[in-house]
Amino acid sequence: MSTREVFTDRLQAGVLLLPTMVVSLVFLYYPTVRAVGLSLYRASLARGDVFVGLENYRRLASSSEYLRSVLISVLFAACVVVGVMAVALCVSFLIHEIDVGKGVYLVAVIWPYALPPAVAGLVFLFIAHPNIGIFTSYIEAFGVDVNWFSNGPQAFVVVLIAAVWKQVGYNVIFMTAALGNVPESLTETAELDGVSRTRRLLRVYVPIISPTLVFLVIMNTIYGFFGTFAMVDLMTKGGPAGATNILIYDLYRTAFQFYEFGFASAKSVVLFVAVGLLMYGQFRLSDRYAYYGG
Amino acid sequence: MLGSLLTALTAAAERSRSAGRTTSERIRRFETEQLTLHVLAATIVFLIILPVLIAALVSTKRAGIVTSIGDLAPGGHALSNYRRALIGLEFWRFMLNSFLMSVAVVVGKLVVSLLAALVIVYYRFPYKNAVFLFILFTLLLPVPVRFVPLYRLTTELGMSNTFFAITVPYLASATTVFILRQHFLSIPASLVETAKVDGVGPLRFLWSVLVPMSRAVLVGVSVIMFVYTWNQYLWPLVIINAESLQVAQVGLSLLRGQASTGEVAWSMVMTGSMLTLLPPLALLVLFRRQLLETFTIQQK
Amino acid sequence: MGGTNGETLQGLVDQFQSETDINANLVFQDSYEGVLTNTLSALDSGEVPDVFQIDSLFAQQVLDTDAVEPVENLLSDNYPVDDFLSNVTSFFTIDDTLTSMPFNNSNAILYYNRSAFKEAGLDPDSPPTTLEEVRSYSQTLVDEGVTEAGLTWPNHVWFVEHFYSVDGQTLLDAENGHAGQPTTMQTDNSTARSLYEWWHEMADNGLFSNPGIEAWGEATSTFLTGKAAMLMTSTASVTGIRSGAEENGFEVDNAFYPTIDGDRTGPVIGGASWFVPSGLPQERQDDIGSFLEFMGRPESQITWHKGTGYYPIRQSAVEQLENDGWFAENPMYRTAFDQLTQAESTPATKRMLIGPARQVQTTIQDMSVELFSGDVSVDEGLSELKSAVEDELDRYYS
Repeated sequence: MSTREVFTDRLQAGVLLLPTMVVSLVFLYYPTVRAVGLSLYRASLARGDVFVGLENYRRLASSSEYLRSVLISVLFAACVVVGVMAVALCVSFLIHEIDVGKGVYLVAVIWPYALPPAVAGLVFLFIAHPNIGIFTSYIEAFGVDVNWFSNGPQAFVVVLIAAVWKQVGYNVIFMTAALGNVPESLTETAELDGVSRTRRLLRVYVPIISPTLVFLVIMNTIYGFFGTFAMVDLMTKGGPAGATNILIYDLYRTAFQFYEFGFASAKSVVLFVAVGLLMYGQFRLSDRYAYYGG
Repeated sequence: MLGSLLTALTAAAERSRSAGRTTSERIRRFETEQLTLHVLAATIVFLIILPVLIAALVSTKRAGIVTSIGDLAPGGHALSNYRRALIGLEFWRFMLNSFLMSVAVVVGKLVVSLLAALVIVYYRFPYKNAVFLFILFTLLLPVPVRFVPLYRLTTELGMSNTFFAITVPYLASATTVFILRQHFLSIPASLVETAKVDGVGPLRFLWSVLVPMSRAVLVGVSVIMFVYTWNQYLWPLVIINAESLQVAQVGLSLLRGQASTGEVAWSMVMTGSMLTLLPPLALLVLFRRQLLETFTIQQK
Repeated sequence: MGGTNGETLQGLVDQFQSETDINANLVFQDSYEGVLTNTLSALDSGEVPDVFQIDSLFAQQVLDTDAVEPVENLLSDNYPVDDFLSNVTSFFTIDDTLTSMPFNNSNAILYYNRSAFKEAGLDPDSPPTTLEEVRSYSQTLVDEGVTEAGLTWPNHVWFVEHFYSVDGQTLLDAENGHAGQPTTMQTDNSTARSLYEWWHEMADNGLFSNPGIEAWGEATSTFLTGKAAMLMTSTASVTGIRSGAEENGFEVDNAFYPTIDGDRTGPVIGGASWFVPSGLPQERQDDIGSFLEFMGRPESQITWHKGTGYYPIRQSAVEQLENDGWFAENPMYRTAFDQLTQAESTPATKRMLIGPARQVQTTIQDMSVELFSGDVSVDEGLSELKSAVEDELDRYYS
């Protein structure tokens, strides 16, 4: 790598880096720092800021609602990651094993990724609305009582399904690409040895594409915490009784419906720390389990 | 369930493999296997597409209050609905704004990130790794975490409700820099060594050598960035008030708000949704090959 | 103000422009909440629009910014403020000054499906008037297999407010915030208990269809598709519902909002008013004054009422409509208005004036779900609700 570093003009380097650095500083780092600062205030719109020290954090720590929101978010993100990757793995594997028409299936699966999250939530609401949903009466024919406006766990599941559905395409693209890189010879050897498809998938392919899987776990975690906002906003608004009140939605509501900016900043700080820790943990774990190299 | 199905399938295949070994029988069994795989894949894929298909169908209807499968027959109002959405409800303006915003961001981000990746890979200077980490670290700072102070900052700068506000904050992209860096690292070092010897400056090197060699990746990365920007909802929602500047995603929620008062049919909301879906979808379909190439980089 | 209401509004604005040569530009938002956010942030940053339309629920919040000019100062001296319906202006008058200009006001009423009633053997000319009657009508409708549920309405705090006001009970103390800072929600009374017990029973027996929180459109859809035979929603939807019923092939009618047990005080006010920021140059103020006066003209009010369903707020407009026979031909348009004029004016019928409106609104809506789903007992739920609202009020005002 060091043989590539042929240019040494530092001034040039600085200038070329400038746009990235400036934008990062001004629009990414600075607001974050301010968020931490703002979290020590009680701030609203058109009312003047009041310094309150750690009170916002104290309020968070003692709010059972908020702690519940944290648990729900973690659980939700975990389910999203597991759900998405399991489904995507199956689909990618199927596409890999199919000889003809791979492109068609791939394109078909990409749709949800192109779909704006707001539309996804809206469409699901339309389909599964407890009263006027299109499929509701058919689902109820199976004996399932569709009432996810009042039933917390059910609401959780419905939003989860919408979230997983949306993200599968993104994962399939990566996994298919990765599977496509697996040497043909490996597949042939496995087949000749009479290894069943499932075992081939789990014992051979998965370890080989583990770098991609690690990457996807991280991206899916970010998605599970942040990317699912629109779905909650459109389908359940955090309800019922906070069953789908994931942190990002709770944050949005505190900031832009209740205008409690200081409190919302405290929540962002907590969210940032939580996700940061989670991803750090994932990095460390991946070092142990992933298989890099030839 | 899928696993055991596959296992059963394979077990049956293995048994029959040992039973009949004539070539034609093997081919037939092979074809049956493929058929089953196709059926499985098609079912799953159909389930995945289904919600969007429904949205498309509803967008062709008049009132859009669909409560049973029977109502799903395509209505004949596709043309009038789409025309009303685009012209009557001014959706064309939202689409245009989204388009301008996304293109501006993509171009801007490409340029900025190319420069950054160039420096990271081909320059030597102290604390370079720290700089790289500095850029990467921003991945942990997604919009939701900073948007409260970002909102205040933008308003204080007097930039709220401007085109600037919905483009500039997106210009620094850690993912793009990262992907480009990985790609540059896969380009033989000899190329840049020759360039240095020949006295070629960094920018010319970038333009004449790196860019042509990175076509697929650049396209792939552009598509990703376009889709990402096009689908932005939260930030434009918060920072843009004027309808004339609003982007399609938020325009959609305007439509929905109107539908809530019963003034606009739900089918219009679906029409708006389909319109919003088309550009990113078209890009993904057109450039899927490049996308696949771009994503393979992640292996390293 | 989207869809046809928006079109009507735009029509009025265009008329204003052509008559006065003053330029006026409408900027639509997706909801009152959207307007509020934009207004507050505009006031925060100093980039204010000239006039903004704020829902009555958020009036106090806007007033608390201390950045608005009472509209009374912008109207010409001989403007007939007395011609406005007193129940309407009383809400928007603080300390004897008219702070915002009422424009589109409404209250909630009960819509019902006459055809469904007939089919179930109920008399379509005597709609239910109390909670108990609503319940038994619903039971009949469902038992006869005519509809899936009896009644639906969007879970918005406005309806809880109506139940309270119709029963003559203030929702908050301090006269619903009009006589000082409110500190608590009144839940320790028969109104609250009867309401939520009834709500829970209806939900439990499948007589109430829950369309979602603030789900105006979904509730209306539930009614129009015949899934529920009765709908409670704003009179502002009367035009849409009338044509929707026609499309779906049934006869629709409307009636007063049901009372808790027969005693009727009156509805709360709903809808919005025009607020004006302070500190604008005199010339601008004059223009804005003309605009406000134009919007409050009897002719404008008549156009507005006919196009939407919001009731006219000028006495002379009402008289004109009566003389023209409009109400005789369109009885559904008068229901809300009658409900208003027949009301007693008490603190209970003045809509609450609170700072943390959105927080309290969300709290009540969310807790209502728990209460009617039976996740908590009525007593427990009510006391939880009470303390949650107290927390919000305390936090805002301290």
